[in-house]
Amino acid sequence: MISELLINAFLVTIMLSIAIALIKTRTVIFTVILTSAYSLIAALMFITLDAVDVAFTEASVGAGISTILFLAAMAYLPKKEEESINTQFVPALSCIILGGILIWCSYDLPEIGQLTAPIHQHIAPEYIKGSKEDIGIPNVVTSVLASYRGYDTFGETIVVFTAGVAVLALLEKKNPVKKNRSLPSKKLKKNA
Amino acid sequence: MISSTIGIWNYWIVFCLMMIGLFLVIGRKNFLKKIVGLTIFQTSVFLLYITFGKIKGGTPPILNESINSIYSNPLPHVLILTAIVVGVATTALGLSLVLRINSEYGSIEEDDISAQDLVDYHDEIETGKSIDLKFKQ
Repeated sequence: MISELLINAFLVTIMLSIAIALIKTRTVIFTVILTSAYSLIAALMFITLDAVDVAFTEASVGAGISTILFLAAMAYLPKKEEESINTQFVPALSCIILGGILIWCSYDLPEIGQLTAPIHQHIAPEYIKGSKEDIGIPNVVTSVLASYRGYDTFGETIVVFTAGVAVLALLEKKNPVKKNRSLPSKKLKKNA
Repeated sequence: MISSTIGIWNYWIVFCLMMIGLFLVIGRKNFLKKIVGLTIFQTSVFLLYITFGKIKGGTPPILNESINSIYSNPLPHVLILTAIVVGVATTALGLSLVLRINSEYGSIEEDDISAQDLVDYHDEIETGKSIDLKFKQ
């Protein structure tokens, strides 16, 4: 059983290297491709962590649809990210401190895969037991999603609908786009 | 020793990933990069939840009477299924905001946009009348 944890540790380390590459890169197309690869490896990890439903949702929605969205948005946006003039010292330091605190707290978390962890003691056994008798679907995730917590899924649909309406309202073009509005920062740089 | 390190290794890396996502959101000036950072953050939170639900030697929670086995916890899976779809909705909304900002300001760098706002503000003070054309239809 240690082998599946080893595979997990390996995959999550690949994800870390992809994320570090994301910090380094300044080209938008590399950013989009790296994000897609990140989602795909996350989907692989979900399979090794026994979450098959989550894995194919992540592979289709996370790695598929969001990549398409990024590519579609990319067509209208600048292709290069500009180097920032300001230092990024304060954000980096606060992230490192917060990450250190989280890692320190991780010693109190139960080890991965322990049957005695509190999360497995509460209501999950009831759902696994009741799925066959109450709903008659062997896939427990489906029965919880669509029946036990059906209102949650309904709320999710409302959220997606609201987001769609907001996107349509934002992208509606009423006034003509001001194409040649000069950038003051470039003007300032020219004057200096 | 090795087994206990492997036992919490996932948590460490997931926390590192979260912090990288947070750094991309608060440390980078490019709005597209900020949204990529949000996606990274989201996916790492999903990983954390799914990691909690794992049981060693368990199978995916699909009932099978021929094998008498233990199933991994299905509840985090359900939560994360919802969160993935909502996450894509958030990404779409953020990207359309970025597109809108780009068509108004001609740039998606935070420095450029705040510089333009500053220039507009000074113009407003000098001419004594408000330049409010930007959001008028």
